[in-house]
Amino acid sequence: MNDDSSGRALSRRELLSMIGVTAGSAAMFQAMSSLGFAADSPYGGPIDLQQAPKGASVLVLGAGIAGLAGAFELRNAGYRVQVLEYNDRAGGRNWSLRGGDRYVELGGEAQECRFDKDLYINPGPWRIPHHHRGMLHYCRTLRVPLEPFVQVNYQAYVHNSGAFGGKPQRYRTIKADYQGHVAELLAKATRQHALDSSVSVEDQEKLLESLREWGALDENFAYVASGESSDRRGFDKAPGGGLSGRPTPSEPIALSDILKSDLWQNIAMGDVYDMQTALFQPVGGMGRIGEAFGRELGPLIRYRSKVIDIHQDEHGVTATYVDPGDPAGTRMSARADWCLCTIPLSVLAQIPMNVGSAMAQAIAAVPYASAVKVGLQFKRRFWEEDEDIYGGITYTNLPIMNIGYPASGYHSRGKGVLLGAYIWGASAMEFTAMTPAERVRKAVEYGSQIHPQYPQEFDNGIAVAWHRSPFTMGCFGIWSDGARAAHYDNLCRIDGRIALAGEHASYINAWQEGAVTSALDAVGRLHQRAIEQGAKA
Amino acid sequence: MKAGRRHGLRRIGAVALATAVLAVAAHADQPSAASSEARTSRTGAQIFAHICQGCHMPDGRGATGAGHYPGLAGNPTLASWQYVATTVLNGRKAMPPFGLPGDQYSGFLKFVMVQLSDAQVADVVNYVRSNFGNRFKASVTAAQVAGLAHPGAASP
Repeated sequence: MNDDSSGRALSRRELLSMIGVTAGSAAMFQAMSSLGFAADSPYGGPIDLQQAPKGASVLVLGAGIAGLAGAFELRNAGYRVQVLEYNDRAGGRNWSLRGGDRYVELGGEAQECRFDKDLYINPGPWRIPHHHRGMLHYCRTLRVPLEPFVQVNYQAYVHNSGAFGGKPQRYRTIKADYQGHVAELLAKATRQHALDSSVSVEDQEKLLESLREWGALDENFAYVASGESSDRRGFDKAPGGGLSGRPTPSEPIALSDILKSDLWQNIAMGDVYDMQTALFQPVGGMGRIGEAFGRELGPLIRYRSKVIDIHQDEHGVTATYVDPGDPAGTRMSARADWCLCTIPLSVLAQIPMNVGSAMAQAIAAVPYASAVKVGLQFKRRFWEEDEDIYGGITYTNLPIMNIGYPASGYHSRGKGVLLGAYIWGASAMEFTAMTPAERVRKAVEYGSQIHPQYPQEFDNGIAVAWHRSPFTMGCFGIWSDGARAAHYDNLCRIDGRIALAGEHASYINAWQEGAVTSALDAVGRLHQRAIEQGAKA
Repeated sequence: MKAGRRHGLRRIGAVALATAVLAVAAHADQPSAASSEARTSRTGAQIFAHICQGCHMPDGRGATGAGHYPGLAGNPTLASWQYVATTVLNGRKAMPPFGLPGDQYSGFLKFVMVQLSDAQVADVVNYVRSNFGNRFKASVTAAQVAGLAHPGAASP
């Protein structure tokens, strides 16, 4: 798709930069896997703060996952805790939009969610990998029931509008054919002694056997139409019972067509550490976690509180706040010995706060990413009824990038809700610049290229562009390598009586586990300091 | 050697983004609110309509939530084209940098960045400074933008 007219080889970095602007999430995730972005959660089990110093208090700013987990642990240790939250709900980006919800974005556009009962989208995070132990711990503790999130669905599509006449291909077909052809080539090279210098003769025997197994090759190490290859890529006529049950194998797509289609970019997704099975979602929507924390902390959280100033002195920290709905802007204040501030840097960078220049510079050093999600309600679950797609994700080079199928409510009668778009990068900025109605319209228009049922079955939709979100003004913090080296530690170090936490103060950016591990790390250090100083205001 | 590499990056990024912008422009029928008074290049208007107005809003008046996006209408900082161009190139606080060559990013973060050529930066700076009631001369050139510090330019 991209021509380098000079004809010279592209550097790795140039290639990546090009993919980033022109290709979809497929390429992103492919690169995630090859660049080793994924990191193990450092969560080491429930923390056990010893008893808080007598009478000590902590002011927590922000009731997202970091603020909630921090407040929960501090309260349990005996601190007097007060939480200030801008929204009128707990959870922050941990959030589900359900029928009856109203969402007003920056600029004033209001949307009413008109989904049927039990249907929802998660505008923010939507999956919890099995190794995000911190998040899973709080789900267990708060009794938030989980169910499997389907990441890889072999029946879902990979789609490139410029390949195969724009016809979406099954994930299973592209994966099987890519793998089969690669196995055949490697077997050929082995048998032609091209690998003699790197693989011993005994190992070559094993290698050939493994390639036959891995690629579904025939007895001549060829990837051809057969029962074996069809058992991977699918049959023209699948096996059944009785006289009509005789299967017909299918013909593999030629290697050149697979390569030219670029659809191989989409097949390693489920191999990425953060995407590996098993993954989970809370029953009823990701927002159930924030809601459970909200119930647990009850009156400790003061909602509709917009922090406009944070001031520390030698005895404590005072936050000045207003009710964002109060036209008079009446100033109120809250004070405690210590402060755990989880306000996103996009907002915090604008709030006067007397910290040293190291932390102040760090707060100002992190740009925020764009992301857009669009939820679409349809009159029936045609993806299940017509296409046998139960959960999972279709990847496309169209600006919508992803279509996510609900991993719950299978075979429900009545309406169903798809994640009709999950967009990053340049396309996310372009969708953000549209009105919500236009985003929904575009999601339906693009999605129709993959599911022709769209125009007939579409019912209503809702769109969240994270740069228009009043409470975060962006999706998540983007650390450049240079900014990370210069500022990350300064962001996380306690300044006087103020500690920062959130996904932005982690190496697991954009994941809830980053928020949890960041909060626990900060709370542990804050507690240590409180004990050392006696914490009396 | 380094200059050559930077040049290559800049060229590719510019072409790729122009493609992305134009691709959407071809089927986006939501007009820029400011298009009637646009007196500068179509490219500047398109970049504003497809990127900048996401935060600064179609009328250039910004918005306020837990924090705020500054308005561009009647904003005194626009008097300095260098200030505006530097903001677009390097970002400012949470506003992402759009300059080339980009900073170094690890993993998937590479793919969330959007990069504009110096010519595109000049176009959008001119557009912003001569619309929304602003009456500054729209005469900034790509060469002038190229003379400003770019993000990541010093990194290896």
